[in-house]
Amino acid sequence: MNELEDRLIRCFDLVFHGLNPNQIRGASVQTLPAWDSLASATLVAVLEQEFNVQIDPLDLPELTSFLSAQAYISDKLNDAAGAN
Amino acid sequence: MNIISALELIKRQIPDGSATRKLFLACGFTPLHLATFVNAQLITLQPGRKNEIKTGLFGDLLGNVQRARLSDCDALVVLVEWSDIDPRLGIRTLGGWRVADVTSILSSADEHLNRLSEALQAAAENSPIVLSFPTLPLPPLFHGHNTQATSEQLRLRQIVASSAAHLAFSKNIRLLDSESLLEDSPFASRFDVKSEIVTGFPYSLPHAAILAGHLAALLANPTPRKGLITDLDDTLWGGILGEVGVDGVSWSLEQNTHMHGVFQQFLASLASAGILIAVASKNDPALVKKAFERKDVLISKDSIFPWEVHWNRKSDSVQRILNDWNIAPDAAVFVDDSPMEVAEVKAAFPEMECFVFPKDNLPGVWNLLKRLRNEFGKALLSEEDALRLQSLRNANVARQSSASSPNSDEFLKSAAAHMLFTSLKRKNDPRALELLNKTNQFNLNGKRLTEGEWSKYLADPSTFALLISYNDKFGPLGKIAVLLGRFAVDRIKVDYWAMSCRAFSRRIEHQCLNYLFSRNKAPEISLDFNPTDRNGPLQEFLAELHSSAPEPWVTLSRTECLERLPKLFHSVEEAIDE
Repeated sequence: MNELEDRLIRCFDLVFHGLNPNQIRGASVQTLPAWDSLASATLVAVLEQEFNVQIDPLDLPELTSFLSAQAYISDKLNDAAGAN
Repeated sequence: MNIISALELIKRQIPDGSATRKLFLACGFTPLHLATFVNAQLITLQPGRKNEIKTGLFGDLLGNVQRARLSDCDALVVLVEWSDIDPRLGIRTLGGWRVADVTSILSSADEHLNRLSEALQAAAENSPIVLSFPTLPLPPLFHGHNTQATSEQLRLRQIVASSAAHLAFSKNIRLLDSESLLEDSPFASRFDVKSEIVTGFPYSLPHAAILAGHLAALLANPTPRKGLITDLDDTLWGGILGEVGVDGVSWSLEQNTHMHGVFQQFLASLASAGILIAVASKNDPALVKKAFERKDVLISKDSIFPWEVHWNRKSDSVQRILNDWNIAPDAAVFVDDSPMEVAEVKAAFPEMECFVFPKDNLPGVWNLLKRLRNEFGKALLSEEDALRLQSLRNANVARQSSASSPNSDEFLKSAAAHMLFTSLKRKNDPRALELLNKTNQFNLNGKRLTEGEWSKYLADPSTFALLISYNDKFGPLGKIAVLLGRFAVDRIKVDYWAMSCRAFSRRIEHQCLNYLFSRNKAPEISLDFNPTDRNGPLQEFLAELHSSAPEPWVTLSRTECLERLPKLFHSVEEAIDE
């Protein structure tokens, strides 16, 4: 498990209680009834704080699963590293 | 607190069986992170208590308050923002910002706030309400420059302020102080336009966290401290009395000792609100007496009790003061300019808040006064606040008379004591809940009730609830005990029983049991007793009436109990509906 995934699992665990890491890795809007618009907003706030990134509202439709969030955050961090 | 730490706090397991507080968070916006922060801040203030937070519908504050009234919540948190007063004062509704619209907004604001005020007062009959009026900036719809307060803006703020002032009179509504919030949450960084547009949540995360902290503090309604012990030299006044004499000590602008005068004024303010003030000073008592004869002293010597003025250790003085006040160290605050004295008292009483008076630091004194106001802050003042000091003095006189009397029965008989049992079912009295939640030494089980739980208990038709007042020839003690329970065929069950420590040694507790047996024919009283670290006096009382050391759920049989009660001399009156 890489560091990014580890931190991301921690974020999901804070927003969606009671899931094990495997369930979190497979989590998506389709598979997780608790993943509603309010949970999305909370998740975005947690991700912004944890990874010190700004998430554009227009990007929200991309964040519909753990894997898509992982890819999105990874790109954001790479962009930030490239800019530096 | 940030969003991650708040969620971490909430995620922590709270043991099963912990009390649950049901809250209704009523607002017109999406409560989102505010609900998270309120929950987390409450967990910080009151760990071990679960919070269940219900929310209402978006854009319908008035409806949400009405829904909350019908819910079974223990307390309501209500947030009014500008867009709840008129949607055109928000940015999610495009209703028009023309000059004519401003006039229309002003006329509808008054009407809307009146309706909201009525709904809040109705809801406050069932549950306590913590209420916040607009915390966000007004949108740029007024005609003036940003730096100008236009008459329309001022009129709008006046309408809101007038509504707030009206609601602040309600006993069950506590308003959030906007100035205090401003100290912690800068105005310019409160509004999050992006969040408002995307999610309907208008607060920046830092503002939501801070606002939630203030709301939680109002909800928790912490028990204020009861007494303040102050030093004199370089604290209550500038200068050392023994060195500069009575006319040499000062509290004036001219002598650069003005903040000592402000401190005197502050103590007089506390005393007038029923806070006990005592003096612990290493000084010459005769000189101190003369100093307090000066006409310009801002706190009357009659407001101070007791006086510990001598050359002995401060911690000994503090112990005697606590004995006279009959309160625990954690209910008192000690203030002295000497860090050494403060350290000595703190070492003797670790639970006591002790402050160094920062005599050469004017902002430091200002901050100390604000901190002290917080320590002694009370949501409401009661008649008992005015009686407290006098009843302590009377108790002192009574103790001395009792000590000189060869026979305690004789003394109590001569006291001409009168007790009044008033049913709280007929009329609730906030003093009763205050007694239950503040009293430690004579408290049956140390259980505390929220205002919501209290209202539910009173509304339960199977319960009785008595508030007991006492007076004797030494003066009134006021409402000093509360007794709650249920009458059943086979027993009287007492769920809660608390009595002020000012009321000890008058056989009031004995009369309470005698009264219960006289009101009901049940053969026994079951007391939901639980020993706590602090209820030693209650345990001793039960041990007197019970053949063995009391254990949880004490049962006293009518015959045994009445046989063991000492002689009672009170005249008893009741104000009971039946």
